[in-house]
Amino acid sequence: MNKEVIIEKINNFLIDEFEVESEDISPEANLKETLDLDSLDFVDLVVSVESNFGVKLEGEDFLNVVLLEDFYNLIENKLL
Amino acid sequence: MKGSIENKTKHALVTGGSRGIGKAVCIQLAKDTEYHILINYNSNKLEALNTLKEVNRVGGIGEILQFNVVNVDEVKKVLDAWNERNKDAIIEVLVNNAGITKDGLFMWMPQNDWQDVINTSLNGFFNVTNHLIQKLLVNRYGRIINMVSVSGLKGTPGQTNYSAAKGAVIAATKALAQEVAKRNITVNAVAPGFIKTDMTSELDEKELKKMIPVNRFGTAEEVAHVVSFLASNKASYITGEIININGGIYS
Repeated sequence: MNKEVIIEKINNFLIDEFEVESEDISPEANLKETLDLDSLDFVDLVVSVESNFGVKLEGEDFLNVVLLEDFYNLIENKLL
Repeated sequence: MKGSIENKTKHALVTGGSRGIGKAVCIQLAKDTEYHILINYNSNKLEALNTLKEVNRVGGIGEILQFNVVNVDEVKKVLDAWNERNKDAIIEVLVNNAGITKDGLFMWMPQNDWQDVINTSLNGFFNVTNHLIQKLLVNRYGRIINMVSVSGLKGTPGQTNYSAAKGAVIAATKALAQEVAKRNITVNAVAPGFIKTDMTSELDEKELKKMIPVNRFGTAEEVAHVVSFLASNKASYITGEIININGGIYS
């Protein structure tokens, strides 16, 4: 899966399932703030990633994820 | 996240559900709720089947599920396999009831007796609850009820291991309740005193009941009613609570 497809898939579920406005989505956006996530909400992200990409994220995977771009990269690396 | 979990069959899992209080809880939940009952047992399949028969007799649906709560790999394997077979199902109620006693004076207590009791009550709580909690969080609704004991609150001589294990589960109940409350998951514990079950069959009721204000041992059903209430929607504002069911012996 190439990077564009990954980004598109992620953006789609952010819009569809997390009710994020499409204009708020950019690689530099802060993931937690953009999505208005609290720590428990990450469980929803884990589930969406699992159903869209078939990979299971653990809590520690998010340690270095601040920006949406970090999140794209995380998924890309998981799919390698 | 928008609801993706509608129309799932809802289940209640009772660990150690084949006998004693666990059995009574299975039957009570079958009577009072629409939940399908998952009766967990470790070794006594015959008793688990008996519980299932009772669940069916009162109009409930259920199945038996063998795993040892102590064995984290087994817990995962069995629950994952169950999930695979029941893709449209969710375990919404978890009753952590499995427990054992290995009583003895602390000064003579073998390390194994200490460890075994902690493993079952405390680590068993972790193994099952930790495995199911993510699904409950996604479900945005859940009920976790931990079977503790008056021993975990006041301490019982001859039961330092059991008191320690139950006391630890009480503390975990309060902590976890605060972590997950926002997602409509309540975590409570019930703390029975002397209840007539196999676990207390060797106790001298005639002698001991003198210490109990109600002047008798309790029944498993009296505990099960409280569990059933906590498992219901009616108890939605009660969380992190430990409810005594002990005939007034300690409060």
